[in-house]
Amino acid sequence: MTAVAGGDLHSMSEIYERRHKALFRFFFRLTGRQSPAEDLTHEVFLRMIRYRHTYQSGEMFEAWMYRIARNVFADHAKKHRLEIPAAEGQMEMVESSRPTPHDSAVKQQDLALLHRALREMPVEKRELIVLSRFQGLSYEAMGRILGCESGTVKVRVFRAMKEMGQVFHDLRREKAS
Amino acid sequence: MMDPTCDQAKTLMAAAWTPGELDEAQASWLRMHLAGCASCSEEMALLSNLWQRLGDLPVPEPSAALRGRWEQTLQALTVPQARQGDAARPAWWRSFWPANPAWQMAIAALCLAVGLGAGLSLHRGDSERNEVAQLREEVASTKEMVAISLLQQQSAVDRLRGVDYSARMPSMEPQVVSALVHAVNLDANVNVRLAAIDALGKVAGNTRVLESFQEALPREDSPMVQAALIDYLVEAHDRNAVGTIQNLVAKPDVNPTVRERATYAVHQLAQ
Repeated sequence: MTAVAGGDLHSMSEIYERRHKALFRFFFRLTGRQSPAEDLTHEVFLRMIRYRHTYQSGEMFEAWMYRIARNVFADHAKKHRLEIPAAEGQMEMVESSRPTPHDSAVKQQDLALLHRALREMPVEKRELIVLSRFQGLSYEAMGRILGCESGTVKVRVFRAMKEMGQVFHDLRREKAS
Repeated sequence: MMDPTCDQAKTLMAAAWTPGELDEAQASWLRMHLAGCASCSEEMALLSNLWQRLGDLPVPEPSAALRGRWEQTLQALTVPQARQGDAARPAWWRSFWPANPAWQMAIAALCLAVGLGAGLSLHRGDSERNEVAQLREEVASTKEMVAISLLQQQSAVDRLRGVDYSARMPSMEPQVVSALVHAVNLDANVNVRLAAIDALGKVAGNTRVLESFQEALPREDSPMVQAALIDYLVEAHDRNAVGTIQNLVAKPDVNPTVRERATYAVHQLAQ
């Protein structure tokens, strides 16, 4: 990123190769939809170019990138009122890229409920779970992204997981009844 | 009331889900606590299971279109850079020559007309040199048309190119200024709005631009654009903007960084 900040835009290709899938997945988990997730991913790279001068050499790149990603998502959410979870029929389910020959129907049903439970979480808690569980970020990195101590992040992640557990439990009961 | 050691355990439980987050002493403390606390032990089992199962969710993949879009954008953004290294083309030529072949042909035709006019003027005396000046004006007007046309394109990349093209014009005509002001106020793309604000830096003292920025600021919802508008107004020393910026500071939902910058701007403009 230092090269890009120095004006070498061609180096963005390498950054794109390394990060675009992770960013896309971050946005997909937050929005639940392919097309907005791709638009937002593209927007992050444009903003990285535009605000390349704000990257300081030696700074944790992931933290800088996800701060931009969060701003992009906040702008998007403001316009599209993403606080309201998508209705079940509107959610785009992802086809697994990993073969699961031994998965039972029950397990598949549970995964669908898990997916739905994640989507029904308030967006700020969903974001905590996505960053910690799916993006492979340390709590220290998350602290830098969210602007708080890593200990605070751990507590917030625990609470978000607990709430999601409750949502998942309720959905299972609803399905069973 | 919950035992404070249970609170401590919850922090460590979250850490235990991620490899490398717990040191040996913390892991040992957590094991001991879980062994003696049924409530925490049950919670740990349930949530750890949920954490594991989240890993079974399918992994979404971006479409090939995303890459294509990125490559197109990067190409558009790096073309001026690539041309900087082309010693065969001087700077004035690079800034003048548009990428669109239709405009290239139009400009070539106008250049031919300018050449003919200039040649004839050598024989026809001073009175006919006005025609050459007129043709030059037409060339300038063609450049404006290119910029304005690009700013009206559907693709944000093309509009960004339009902004860039406008910014590289030696002087900014009123129509181009209007098109850029329009982009700042109404363009759906944040990057186009930001680039248009930058481009309008050439006409920082323009009253119409300043007034339109004051109007745009309360409507703007992107913190980055808000910050750019504030910076512009400060750079232009527009004291008339103090009230608008103060109103923004007073808004309860304004971004903290923007509020900080706006407060600083009010201070600067009041000096």
